[in-house]
Amino acid sequence: MKIEIQITSQTIVPMPFREEFRGSAGAIAEFAGVVRAAENGQTIDALEYEAYSPMAEGQMRRILESLAERFPCLAARIIHRIGTIPVGETAIYVCIASKHRGEAFSMLAEFMNRLKQDVPIWKVLAHGRGVEQAPSTCCQPVKTAGRSDVRSLDEALGEISSRCQPLPGVRAPLAESSGRILLETVLAAEDLPAADKSTRDGYAILENDPSEALRIVDTIHAADWKPRQLKTGEAVRIATGGSLPCDAARVVMQEHVERDGDRIRIVRREGPSNIRKRGEEMRSGQPVLSAGTMLNAGAMAMLATVGCVQPLVSQKLRVAHFTTGDEIVSPDKKPAPGQIRDSNSILIRGLLQAFPCELVQAHLPENFEQAKQEISAFRFPLSAFDLVLVSGGASVGEKDFTRPLLEWLGFEIVFNRVNIRPGAPVIFGLANDGRRVAFGLPGNPLSHFVCYEIFVAAAVRRLVGADAVGFRRGRLVSGLEEASNPRETLWPGRRELAGDGWSLTPLPWSSSGDVTSLVRANALIRVPAGSDAMVAGAEVEFISADFR
Amino acid sequence: MRILLFAQVKDAIGMAEFAVTVAGRPGVEEVWARLVEVQPKLAAFRKTTRMARNGEYADAKTIFTDADEVALIPPVSGG
Repeated sequence: MKIEIQITSQTIVPMPFREEFRGSAGAIAEFAGVVRAAENGQTIDALEYEAYSPMAEGQMRRILESLAERFPCLAARIIHRIGTIPVGETAIYVCIASKHRGEAFSMLAEFMNRLKQDVPIWKVLAHGRGVEQAPSTCCQPVKTAGRSDVRSLDEALGEISSRCQPLPGVRAPLAESSGRILLETVLAAEDLPAADKSTRDGYAILENDPSEALRIVDTIHAADWKPRQLKTGEAVRIATGGSLPCDAARVVMQEHVERDGDRIRIVRREGPSNIRKRGEEMRSGQPVLSAGTMLNAGAMAMLATVGCVQPLVSQKLRVAHFTTGDEIVSPDKKPAPGQIRDSNSILIRGLLQAFPCELVQAHLPENFEQAKQEISAFRFPLSAFDLVLVSGGASVGEKDFTRPLLEWLGFEIVFNRVNIRPGAPVIFGLANDGRRVAFGLPGNPLSHFVCYEIFVAAAVRRLVGADAVGFRRGRLVSGLEEASNPRETLWPGRRELAGDGWSLTPLPWSSSGDVTSLVRANALIRVPAGSDAMVAGAEVEFISADFR
Repeated sequence: MRILLFAQVKDAIGMAEFAVTVAGRPGVEEVWARLVEVQPKLAAFRKTTRMARNGEYADAKTIFTDADEVALIPPVSGG
């Protein structure tokens, strides 16, 4: 039975097997599972689905294969949509082709029953007016945060991952897709190679042709497509990469042949057939890249290979970054006593380079009213930005206006302090149902770095639809005696791969304003609150700060 | 060992994946014990959640290694 399975975040277009089984199929059964407007007794607008895609595809295939033993069918095509699915749209599409209707109906019904038991796909959230809850089919999620504005590190990360919502994807030209997240699973459109190909310069002959002398009847270059049935005693001159003229052929490399005009004599016959078989690299319909992949050069080359020139990818993020504080001067100026050069603007610009984005940066005056006037005078509306970052002013000093500024900009503040060091006074706000995100970052460069890597990067990954990155485990190369603190600490460190795992060297750190450690830091080591001094060799958790 | 979390388990723990190290060749129960040690909140899901090893549901006979990808599968609700 032919099986096709697709998990996609796109709208499902029904694709019944019409042409493929014309003449052989007597029944084509289609089923669409559609989102209803009622869930748990409340009116909803949409349901959100999540999948463990590789396993879900594997389980669906396994179920279909086992059902095919009882209900022999010709083909099954399953498309399951994930992400946010509005009411009235299709969440799952099934099409079964068979000779007679009985086995198609049975397979369809049984498949849906088994899907709902074993395939790792979940309805995770219902969206609606005044509704934002787990659907009835879920166990209730555990609320991790109380009413207070202060969070533990785990609580803060949990809220960022559950409350930021992925932005809709766009179809972008392949050439502009670098660094973006692929939001659909891409399937091979055709076999690769598309025909049996020669791996040598030589002569194609019938596989079992016993002739010693053969006549050259044609020439095939790499780009040629010249099917013909070879006869015993015939050979075709073929170039490396050339398509074989017929089935049941082999290629004798030219070094094993003596040529005289249009005649050849084979001097060595043993050895491989020198053919790269059709579909050897990939089969038509086989997934070549799964949704969630960050498109690097190799992944883009794969998309080009399968002809996917307009992939569905994450949007370019639009980011606004404001610095505050009269003590900040531009890096090209000499700071007066009491002033420092602005290193945060370039730090944020550099950190954001991990994600394709359009960044606008500006410095705001220290007076709240003046800052509001300045923002109002911008040529662009701030509602056009997916991410707003404000450096400095996150504390509760009288000049610290980041929280009121973000509220004025329409953000609901979720928390304004996390029990960590450095970086405790970090503010997290949301607008537009979690599709616009704001952070107030404490002004010290090291706090900036920590808050970006721990919180902002997690939110950005969620917005663009990338997989979350959790803490990894490694071992300390040297001890951390100053680790003990009533707050959880994220200690700058240098991460290296050593033999059987990651080794972590804590970097010297005197204050949150210390830029020195940033030069070498590529990890943040997690030191639980109230830890004793940590000795060399101790197992620790860390988060990578420069690769994903 | 890479641990993947989904749906309500992911929401409760606050992350989609994390890593633990396991020694030797543990079975399902030993892996669960190790996970609860690292993330105590997982204990609440142990009865309702199935474990998968490298994309296949694990059973009492499954043996894990530190190189495995382990997914915690709460009751599914696709379709």
